[in-house]
Amino acid sequence: MDWSAYILVGFLFAGLFFLGASAALYWAHKHGQLSNLEKGATSIFDEDEPMGEVTDSFPEKKRKADSGEDS
Amino acid sequence: MSATPSILDSINPSQDADTSLKARLGEVDASMRVPAMLFLISSVLWLLAGTVFALIAAIKATNPEFLGATEWLTFGRVRSAHLNAMIFGWGNNVIFAVAPWIMGRLCRARIRHTNILLVAGVFWNIAVTVGIIGIMKGDMVAVEWLEMPAYITPLVAISYALVGVWVIIAFRWRQSDHVYVSQWYLLAAFFWLPWLYTVAQVMLVFEPATGVVQSLTNWWFAHNVLGLWLTPTAIAAAYYLIPKVLGRPIHSYYLSVVGFWALALFYNWAGVHHLIGGPVPAWVISAGVVGSVMMVIPVIVVAINHHLTVVGLHKPGWASPTIRFVVFGAINYTAVSLLGSLMALRNVNEVTHFTHFTVGHAHHGVYAFFTMIMFGAVYYMMPRLLLREWPNAFLIKVHWWMCAMGIVLMVVALQVGGWIQGLQMNALSEEGTPVYTFLEVVENTKPWLWGRSLSGLMLLIGHIAFAVNVFWMVFSPKTEAQKSQPTLLTPSTGQS
Repeated sequence: MDWSAYILVGFLFAGLFFLGASAALYWAHKHGQLSNLEKGATSIFDEDEPMGEVTDSFPEKKRKADSGEDS
Repeated sequence: MSATPSILDSINPSQDADTSLKARLGEVDASMRVPAMLFLISSVLWLLAGTVFALIAAIKATNPEFLGATEWLTFGRVRSAHLNAMIFGWGNNVIFAVAPWIMGRLCRARIRHTNILLVAGVFWNIAVTVGIIGIMKGDMVAVEWLEMPAYITPLVAISYALVGVWVIIAFRWRQSDHVYVSQWYLLAAFFWLPWLYTVAQVMLVFEPATGVVQSLTNWWFAHNVLGLWLTPTAIAAAYYLIPKVLGRPIHSYYLSVVGFWALALFYNWAGVHHLIGGPVPAWVISAGVVGSVMMVIPVIVVAINHHLTVVGLHKPGWASPTIRFVVFGAINYTAVSLLGSLMALRNVNEVTHFTHFTVGHAHHGVYAFFTMIMFGAVYYMMPRLLLREWPNAFLIKVHWWMCAMGIVLMVVALQVGGWIQGLQMNALSEEGTPVYTFLEVVENTKPWLWGRSLSGLMLLIGHIAFAVNVFWMVFSPKTEAQKSQPTLLTPSTGQS
């Protein structure tokens, strides 16, 4: 391929990329994904893994904590 | 809609997601168990293989005669085998385990068509195995980060497409209202990599461009695999795991959205800085320098979010293997990115170019940032997938200390040694002649390269500890004691 063909392919891909990003941004705006963001930050928590609770620790510490609760 | 829809149902645009089917996290974890474990076990095996290749290559840098008579293990081949085993063997396998798992959890939907992931996993690992053997037997493509021979391209493309389609199906059928920032990063990464890979394959392998265009495409591709594939997946994992483990929402969710779009805008330009000083049009280099420096914006944004979310919770953070690894990775994301922006400045690059400083920078990014975050993700994910505890806390600590100290030693040795190497290469006497001969400069790097070999040994010990713990956990018989431990939150069976 010569230079002009590469430039054509390059612009085609760049154009598709730009359109894809624009469509994603438009979709996010239209569906309210960019509003009320602070509420969105808590969307990863639920009753199984609630906010305010640490959900990981070294296994031996868990055992100690577990036996402490049992005793 | 039936509980187990067909693929045709899943790709039917007229179907609506039924929010009454919102799955609990335990159900999502259970549905991901088999494919995620296939990818995870593969990734650990590749990590060990890649580390052995790395150690052989590192020793050869100070002792070139080491295994020098074995054609398959000459420096050029074993170094490329290391790089590809780590990026495509370890890196991609662990991403294919962690990214769909996070996506599934955030979508809160029962995971569909996990057989697609299983087929992708088998194809992917066959492709990487054949590719690495190809490199070692001399079929290597002379393009940085794309060395695996062209005959594995179809397998790579098919398996990648299968994972990509799976991610899109999972997102399409999400049962959650909000699209969390990690989902943005993951979707973008799964969109960007095929784009990068296709352009690179066409312009570098099947219809190779020549001269400057070839070099530009090469570095555009190689740097973007780091910036638009490994980086967004690791940031996605950190944005999910730091608040999740600590039970505290991300410091500024608003900033996280700004950071995502800033990365999308600027990173694509940065790779060109690898060609500073080369015969490339000056405006292209300048654009690359500007793009690299503009990356300071998303980096600072991510730094604010990741670091301020942890502030005040250092004690529980230190008590969590996941947070230890992920926060170490997040700190190094800030450090490596700011250093990278500095290295893109022409006067700094004059010193660092063609030195071990760049090698140190690459390991800083791919290991201290990406790999450490993925280790943290594995520590959180595996107990939830297998419903059992990590068998040995001591091995986790060995893994942590060896890898954290090992990579710090490596980055310091290569970057301090590389900086001195660069100054010596550029040093001119008053008459304008070089102060040091090339051989003197090479000899002077040796102590730093020994430091690198030592760090490689530490990383190998850490990886062995990690692998022993993983295989112990996977293959040990399940006991009643394990069931009762509080590893995981109670696995759920009902619907919310």
